[in-house]
Amino acid sequence: MSTLERLTQILKANFDVDTASLTPESRLADLAIDSLGVIEIMFAVEDEFKIVVPRTQGDNAPALATVGDLVAFVDRLVSEQAARPEEPARP
Amino acid sequence: MRRVAVTGLGTVSPLGNEPEQLFAALKAGRSGIVRLPETVHPRLTMRIVAAAQFDGAAHFQTAQLRVLDRVSQFAVYASRQAVADAGLVLDAHEKERSGVFLGTGMGGAQSTDDAYASLYEQGSDRVKPLTVLMAMPNAAASWVGIEHGFSGPNLTFSTACSSSAVAIGEAWRRIAGGETDVMLAGGSEAPLNLGTLKAWDAMKTLATEDADDPAASCKPFALDRSGLVLGEGAAMLVLEEWERAARREARVHGEIVGYGLSTDPAHITRPSVPGQARAMHLALESAGLGAGDIDYINAHGTATLANDAVETAAIKEVFGSSARGTPVSSTKSMHGHLLGAAGALELMACLLALQHATLPPTCNLRVPDPECDLDYVAEGARSQPGLRTVMSNSFAFGGTNAVLICRRP
Repeated sequence: MSTLERLTQILKANFDVDTASLTPESRLADLAIDSLGVIEIMFAVEDEFKIVVPRTQGDNAPALATVGDLVAFVDRLVSEQAARPEEPARP
Repeated sequence: MRRVAVTGLGTVSPLGNEPEQLFAALKAGRSGIVRLPETVHPRLTMRIVAAAQFDGAAHFQTAQLRVLDRVSQFAVYASRQAVADAGLVLDAHEKERSGVFLGTGMGGAQSTDDAYASLYEQGSDRVKPLTVLMAMPNAAASWVGIEHGFSGPNLTFSTACSSSAVAIGEAWRRIAGGETDVMLAGGSEAPLNLGTLKAWDAMKTLATEDADDPAASCKPFALDRSGLVLGEGAAMLVLEEWERAARREARVHGEIVGYGLSTDPAHITRPSVPGQARAMHLALESAGLGAGDIDYINAHGTATLANDAVETAAIKEVFGSSARGTPVSSTKSMHGHLLGAAGALELMACLLALQHATLPPTCNLRVPDPECDLDYVAEGARSQPGLRTVMSNSFAFGGTNAVLICRRP
């Protein structure tokens, strides 16, 4: 499954999201997923993709406006953390 | 001082999720107290509670529901009813002069319990990420404010079992003093989770189950009373400056005319006759009334050994020779003890009693206690055509005594 498909599963499991019409351009706000909603699914994302989502706030926080942003964010973490499996350890 | 009208009522309660349903049950002497099935929290040994029949999914979108502890769901739903009942439509400026004062004893206790269960019971290091926002004591008041866009003061009062009486009294003062024009005031409580029930059980304050009829386990003022029954729910009232309500020809449920507040500083749980009496005196004083003007008292009446005898003595101290002629009842015998929501639910019962000119009874009072020798309306609801001015008592662990007085419009 692609990252988009796997994320779609997580969104479907956690929110009332019409997954049939979901595209990378879909805006999270239009799906009634706000910044708190993104925080809510991060444990599921970590488990699904075997990654650790770093704690970032303010200017360092990823700008996640669309489903595509979320896909890119996850793909970046997967590739970074696959390259350096010894870190980052969960603090 | 400006006058304050109650123009809207809303509730979630063990006796129904709208005010008229609540009062119909009270009038019929119907109990909302049940024995939890063994499948719910199998580890409970004490299984008598007053649960509300409330499914949040019927009233909230999934996305919002996920962020709302049960206590916030109750509060928001009750506030929607109250605002609709009041026919309240406010512009942006009016919303700046509108606030939310809400009482809760235990806040989002369910979310705390869920988080600790995942941490300690399931051994997970991952607590639900929104736990803090769901469990924080002010969440319910905040969600009510968000729901209606009220941008005036938003405060949470936590004085255990008098929390919502305090919230209403303080809201009354804000309007009376001219700082705000409209207030959503009341309380909410959702304590029927395993951890909270176990903690209350350990205090030995909960009623033992009535062997013949679990629904009759709460016996206020009776010799065989054995304690309180924990209940859940919310009651929210729209308080409105009198002239404003009159200008828009709003239906007025009643007028709040008095509020008294005192504290027992001697002990964390033990009630005191002078402290309770002083709260009643102060409420009468603020209303400019004498004890003889009170037609009915909705008692705190928890059915604990300590409360009922002390409250009876305090009423006698304040009412003197008129004490025996003043009907007193404890509706907790039917709806249980809603802790931080109790005072608001019982003031709502008082306002409905005024409208129906009917006193709700004290149920399950069959064995009289010589120390509790007032007229407790034990025989069933009583029609009282001249009913005009009523008092609602709320006392609490921690010692904050709050008394409200309301009057027929």
